[in-house]
Amino acid sequence: MPRRPSNHPRMRFNSLAFLVFLPLFAAGYWATAGRVRLWLMLVASIVFYAWWDWRFVFLLLFSCIVDYSLGILLENEQDDAKRKRLIILSIAVNLGLLGFFKYFNFFAGSAAQLTRSLGLGVSYDALKIVLPVGISFYVFKTMSYTIDVYRRTEKAERDLLRFSTFVVFFPELVAGPIVRASRMLPQLRHDHRFNFERMVSGLTLIASGYVRKVAIADSIAPLVDIRFAHPEAHNALSLLIGVYLYAFQIYCDFSGYSSIAIGLARIFGFDFGINFDRPYFSRGFSEFWTRWHISLSSWLRDYLYIPLGGNRGGTLRTIRNLMLTMLLGGLWHGASWTFVAWGALHGAYLVVQRFIAPIYQRVIRALRIPAFASNAFLVLFVFHLTCFAWIFFRASSFANAWQVLTGILDVHGMHIADIDNRGRILKCVAMVAVLIAFEAATFLPKRRKAVLATSPDEKVTVSAHPLEASPAMRLAFIAACVWVVLIFGSFSGNNFIYFQF
Amino acid sequence: MKDARRASIWFIALIAVIVAGDRLLSWTLSRVLVRSQFRYSRLYRGGIDAQVLILGDSRGVHSFYVPAIEELTRLRAFNASYNSMSMRIAEAVLMDYLDRNRAPQLAIIEVTSVAFEGELTSELRTYAEFSPRLSVLYDEAHPSAAIAGRAFHLLNLNSGFYLEALHYMRRSDQDWINHSAMPPELRNVAPAQWQLPTPSNLAALNRMIAALRSRGVEVRLVLAPYRPAPSNMADFAQIVGRSSGLPVWNYSGAVTDPEEFADTVHLNEHGSRALLAMMKRDGLFGMTEHPPRF
Repeated sequence: MPRRPSNHPRMRFNSLAFLVFLPLFAAGYWATAGRVRLWLMLVASIVFYAWWDWRFVFLLLFSCIVDYSLGILLENEQDDAKRKRLIILSIAVNLGLLGFFKYFNFFAGSAAQLTRSLGLGVSYDALKIVLPVGISFYVFKTMSYTIDVYRRTEKAERDLLRFSTFVVFFPELVAGPIVRASRMLPQLRHDHRFNFERMVSGLTLIASGYVRKVAIADSIAPLVDIRFAHPEAHNALSLLIGVYLYAFQIYCDFSGYSSIAIGLARIFGFDFGINFDRPYFSRGFSEFWTRWHISLSSWLRDYLYIPLGGNRGGTLRTIRNLMLTMLLGGLWHGASWTFVAWGALHGAYLVVQRFIAPIYQRVIRALRIPAFASNAFLVLFVFHLTCFAWIFFRASSFANAWQVLTGILDVHGMHIADIDNRGRILKCVAMVAVLIAFEAATFLPKRRKAVLATSPDEKVTVSAHPLEASPAMRLAFIAACVWVVLIFGSFSGNNFIYFQF
Repeated sequence: MKDARRASIWFIALIAVIVAGDRLLSWTLSRVLVRSQFRYSRLYRGGIDAQVLILGDSRGVHSFYVPAIEELTRLRAFNASYNSMSMRIAEAVLMDYLDRNRAPQLAIIEVTSVAFEGELTSELRTYAEFSPRLSVLYDEAHPSAAIAGRAFHLLNLNSGFYLEALHYMRRSDQDWINHSAMPPELRNVAPAQWQLPTPSNLAALNRMIAALRSRGVEVRLVLAPYRPAPSNMADFAQIVGRSSGLPVWNYSGAVTDPEEFADTVHLNEHGSRALLAMMKRDGLFGMTEHPPRF
């Protein structure tokens, strides 16, 4: 399949096309109701997706129809053996799509390389396969639906229009969060009326998302890119700065996207849940994975880790399940062994933590170290191990990761004067510092109030922040976000990192 | 309906606050900008009294080290060169310089950039508020961004130049030059052909020369050293010389020691000092007429 020109104006949240698309969609959305509105959502989402590559619309619709049909068949069927065959079919179709488009070249190439190393001389010419944008996200979404119907924890959706709208709804289509059917389908069964408070809180999330993406992540991107492209040209301190900056680039990029997606959905009356909850304040890796890409980590927990046996069945089985889950979680991010290594590192962190955590707690109690000091140490420790794993995630190959690591270990190269673009680095560090301060201010439980809730009883499923709920305060916050984007934003139209997954 | 009305009022208030804040913040930040010692802040603030003015792209920056010129000639110098500055942009900068500052006695123009259309307009938009000439060039190069910049003035201050201006708040940037030596992998690069001048840049150069001469400024056109020198530099110098009616001082192969270069096209401080010594030897800093202020 031919690659499309890279300068094609794709519809991203940070593109001009989207700024035109969104008000048009909003006007149509609030002017309609019932099935007309569902049709509008479906067609608009397909237009949004087709803007990327119209050919993959058919693949998307195929996935919808297959899982819609299998969902009904699974619900109607009473014979357990037949039901098992149906769910296997659903998983095979979904993983087959993902496997072909995302992993075919990777596994075929790796197999050929292995046979060559064994002296069998098998060669393989990679097929030109284009990865359909968002496939990892919508496949996981539809797969979880059929599994839930198979488990009879979810009723099959009998309205194809509603089901398709659930799968293709544009805010979460290309890079998540992975909103499950159990959350989304009930919300599609009734009309949402325009609500001023929800609109304002949605815009608050969108504004903070744009600050993260356009002002922070995109400003950091060129500084990181050049360090990973030419690690040999940078000293240890410069590479170390590059790794720290990458930790915040990927966080701001993806949490920014999630924030925009959740905010958009919120304006239109939908609750997508939370996808990031200040992950770099985690005091352990199990906590980290309840705060980072929550929709994926909870998916892996519910549909992989627990079905494998979870932590039941002894220590060895738990270790196996943790490692398998994290290895596959790593592979989900991309068809490369560096992603597998990243997953393996996180798996190892989780395993080691299970053994070390009780000993650590005993030592802390014995030495009477204050909780604050212990927590601060753990946050820093977890953050640094996470950064170490990010090197493999970001590197183009193991050789590249090794170059970065050995470059960092060259302790003679710590001269700040040899670092280029110090002004830009300082700007990024300052923005990251403000972000950390902002998140720290909302970290204490008493401050984590439901500022985004529209009523005191509403279950808040998005990160709280320190502003009071008044629309005037939110207005000031959004205006401040716009000024930050204007003065610090990068408008080179960078892609969101998670689009490639 | 009540919610829709509230939303409309809220949106109007939001836009008003955003625009008012944009104007207030951009005004404040612009005042900070012109107080900087960064070269363009000084240029647009006015009051520079240099006897030697240097213009060019990055080769202009790294070939003409201002402290060395001042030591060597006892003349006050100001280097207005910058990376990727094409001759059309240099023309706008020069005309703004002459409008706001005392005319120099001697202008040295590094002419390599007559071959390129530089990207510096996106950075110089930061100073477009002070220069209609830069504003026109920016409109031409980035029409959509220029419209956005008129709507939100903060966008014009979103640049590397603003960060440079902050960095040089208290000290001059006129000592900016490469200090490192050419890395080993660049030392055996084969000579290439240099791109030939573009008509629009040659025309801009001719207008600059005319403007300088009309104010009694002597002009020296110089080709700074390369290592290795491109094989067509003699042709290049001939084209520029024929078009401008002035001799081009071709030093493209004059410095050969790799320790005096930072890379294949930029001298370092040692290289710049060597070049300036050659230029002094050749009389480039001498005035053909008696300088009025000596």
